This record gives sequence, C-alpha cells and structure tokens, in this order.
Amino acid sequence: MKEISELNLPEDVRYTKDHEWAKVSGDTVKIGISDYAQDQLGDIVFVELPAVGDSFEEGDEFGTLESVKAVSELYAPISGEVVAVNEDLEDAPELLNQDPYKGWIVEIKPSDSSQLEALYDRETYLGVLKGE
Amino acid sequence: MNKEMKTTLLHEWHVENGANMAAFGDYDMPLWYPLGVKGEHLAVINSAGLFDTSHMAVVTVEGEGARALLQHCFSKDLERCLGLKKTGLAAGRSVYGLFLTPEGHVLDDSIVSQVTDSLYMVVVNAGMGGGIAAHLAEHIGELPVEITDLTDRVGKIDIQGPASAQILSKLLKDPSAVFESFPYFSFKGWFAEGVSGQEMVELTDGTPILLSRTGYTGEFGFEIFVAAEKVVSLWESLLEAGKEKSIQPCGLAARDSLRAGSVLPLSHQDVGAWPFGENPWPFALADRDENGKFSKDFIGAESLSSLSLKEYTLAFAGYDPRKMAVSDKSYVADVGGDRIGIILTCATDMAIDRVDDSIVSIATPIEDGKPEGFTPRGLSCGFIKVDRQLKPGEIVLLTDGKRKIKVEVRRDIRPNRTARRPMKEML
Repeated sequence: MKEISELNLPEDVRYTKDHEWAKVSGDTVKIGISDYAQDQLGDIVFVELPAVGDSFEEGDEFGTLESVKAVSELYAPISGEVVAVNEDLEDAPELLNQDPYKGWIVEIKPSDSSQLEALYDRETYLGVLKGE
Repeated sequence: MNKEMKTTLLHEWHVENGANMAAFGDYDMPLWYPLGVKGEHLAVINSAGLFDTSHMAVVTVEGEGARALLQHCFSKDLERCLGLKKTGLAAGRSVYGLFLTPEGHVLDDSIVSQVTDSLYMVVVNAGMGGGIAAHLAEHIGELPVEITDLTDRVGKIDIQGPASAQILSKLLKDPSAVFESFPYFSFKGWFAEGVSGQEMVELTDGTPILLSRTGYTGEFGFEIFVAAEKVVSLWESLLEAGKEKSIQPCGLAARDSLRAGSVLPLSHQDVGAWPFGENPWPFALADRDENGKFSKDFIGAESLSSLSLKEYTLAFAGYDPRKMAVSDKSYVADVGGDRIGIILTCATDMAIDRVDDSIVSIATPIEDGKPEGFTPRGLSCGFIKVDRQLKPGEIVLLTDGKRKIKVEVRRDIRPNRTARRPMKEML
C-alpha cells in the first residue's frame, strides 16, 4: 500500500470525496479514479461502462469497477451527458492501475459547469486523504 | 491497524514490503503485495508463491488414547481413509475432515496428521486453536490424552506452485532423500528437536522443519511448519532461493481466488454453523454404506445420517470476471428472478476463461484446447447455498437487487491443477 507521500496526485485535475478525478478539456470533462483509489482497490479486473448518450445527475452511479477486493460504484462528480467512454478498458481494465490519469473512464458534457468548482483541488484532496 | 489485532512474526516484513494489510479473523494480514493479486495468483499457477499462514493454529493430541479421541471427534474415519484400498491413517500421512457439533454443524475444518502411534497434529483455522483444543478436552473422558494448543507458537509458511520442490531443494540438507516417495497428503519431519520414531527434515543450517505436501491453492506445493523464531529467516531464504523462478510473496486475496477456483471451502463461510449436508465436499466425512450409515460413529454422525435436506451448497463459475459482493442485500435467483438462496463465496480466478463451451486455464496444454496466445480475463467463481438441487450446467443469477450476474453451476472450476501431480514430474 502506498504512503500518502508516494501517491501521484497531479495539479491539473480536480478530485472528489469518492476518489475520482475530473479534468476539463474544452467544453467536456474527462473522469477517472485517483491513484489512491487504484492503490486501495488493487488489480481492477472489469469495468462496467455507461452508454454514450446516457445522462447523469451529480452523485448518480454511472458504472462499476471490479477489483479483486470488491465491486465499487462510480459516482458522477458532476451532472451531464456521456459523450464518450474509454473502450480500451473493456479489454484492458488494468490500464486504470498502470496510469489512473491516462486511463480515463468517461467523458461528460456538463449541464452545469459551476459544479466543477465544488470539487477539490490537490491540496484539499490531500487533506481529505490525511484525515482518513 | 486496530490495536486489538494480533500479528504474525512476519507482520513487519509484510508492512516493510508494501503489503496492503487487512483484518482476517483476529489477525492483521497481507491482502496483496505491490505486484498485485493477479500477478500473485498467476505466479502460483506458473511457478511458485509464498504465503504467510502462521495465523493458522496447531494443536497436538498426544497419548495412548489420541487416536480414539480423534475417532470420536473428527468426521473422517482414521481406520478407513487412505487410498483406494481405504487403509488406516499411518505415521507420515494426513487427512482432511471436520470437527462437528452433535447437530452436524461445522466447528472448523482441519487437516489431521499422524506423527507417531501416539502423537497427532491437528491444524485448524486462525483463532480456532483454543476452541478446538477445548472441544477435544471436553470429550476426553477416561482416555489417556494430552492436548496442547500451540497457537502463535509455531511458524507456518506455504510454498505453492509447480516450482515449489525445485526451490525447496536448494534449502534442504538432503533433498533427494526428502523428496523420494512423498505422496499428496503426506509429510515428513517435525518442527522441533526430535520426536522419537520420526525422521527429521532439516534445512542446510540444521533447522528442523515439518514439510507437508498439502496446501490451499489446488496447486502442487508444501506447507512448512517451523519454530516461530525461525519463520522470518525461512521466509527470506525461500524468496532468495526462488528468485530465478520468479517466486512471489502472496497475500490472502490470491489465496482466496486460488482456493475458490479449486473448489475448496473456507471454514465459517462456505461450511459453518449449519448442517454439513449436500455440498461439493462429501470426502470430508467418513464413508457411508448404501443406507447412508457411516463406517464409524462420531460427533455429528447421527444428525447427518437422518438429515432431511433443505439446503444445497453448489460451486459455480461465471462468464467474465464480474463478482457480486456477499452482503445482506445479495442473493441467488433462478433465471425467472425468484430468490432461491444466498452467496457464500464469490471470487475471481484470474488464470481461467471460457473458450467455446469449456473453461480453459493458462496451465491447460495446447493439445487440450488452450488457444495460442491465450490471455484470460478471469472468471468469477465460488459457492452458493440454495433451496433446491441444481445440476451442473444449470444457470442461476447472483444479484444485489440492482446488478445481475449470470453464473453456471459447476462440478469443477479451474482445470489442469497440479496438486496431485507425481513428485518425480515436479523435480
């Protein structure tokens, strides 16, 4: 298990209390799981993805991750419509372990961009991790 | 870590080497190391893995009445349990069975090993040493027997996988003598200075060990018992000796996925406080005649003989790696969606996948149907307890009310396991 100081937590993404990340590019937002999440889950063996076109409200479950340890729900950090899913994960779910920031899960077109501001920056997320 | 947790002597090693730790029974144990559980699981199938199993408990039963006491308390008939001819348990041989309540519920499962005519070693699960020792003591009556609970006083390491004997050879004083005539479920040596009548097995530095050809992975390998103070150095020596075979330290997650794929039960989860009825493990009991009468009397036998079956425990395998978490919300449904039972174990065997209609393992030979370039995604597998008898091939659903996973009732799960392979093929 990684020490908190060993975690890879880039500055250019926002984080959630559910250990996901969100990264804005243009008018869409890519979503994935943090290094802390992948380290805690262990080997991810299956990713259940939503369909392109599905819409979610902030906090909705949009998919599941199967690790050897558990089945974990993925929660939408912001409301919006799925415009793309990372199909590479269907054959290679381990991409989420290998590089959780390159291994995005879904791309969402937000319905309310202001929700992004409520997500944690790196420092706040680090504080959450240290508090746990 | 919870301050109340117990630890094994390898705990510091696990933490220093980056293990993801979690509670198992009373013990803080490694779930996996940095390589990850998939790599650990595959290492045991392909080469070798090392497991700290010092949390398991050793109880010795010693004295002229030892065999009679075990005949009364243990589910297996020690006079009829070895080989096709069903001969009696003898020195150097081990047998798997259960300690039951009078109602036929499982107190714990165990491997009983006969060391000498009057000394037996009973190995039970973590935290069960005291309970089983007390259970045995309760039934001593007038028998001349002494029972000793050696919980936390004996170190235990399992080396599992096809390269296990080759790796061990480097550490044994006389490997060719040790490995000559060493069938499945036999053992040699003792974990302390000599017991009269028992041949010693020694490491090159003179440390005595008890080497047992048993395990909990379905694969070829050994359980090694050693004095507690020697367990860390033995662990490190085994990792060093196995380096060129890419031996891996393995945590409890890989142990669970390997045993589930091998159709082995976890005590208190797959067998436990309910009658030991119809399930994949009838071999844990004494043989029965055509009328269902056991070949001996033992605690629980009467209840099991007159059991009217209401529940059936069955093995299953899914069609992809997806699992259903075992919780209060999860249950087993028939294909129509009606609830028929509960999930006992659900794990992912990462060495297998479905090819056409069969399950194929990375250990399956090409000529037996393994495709070129086979890279399995893994299959969910485990055990369910349902209210009706289902045949192999029948389909049921595992669900938590939201997600549904289709699985198939199976007689067996991971093919081409190596546990019973002849010793001479493994050197």
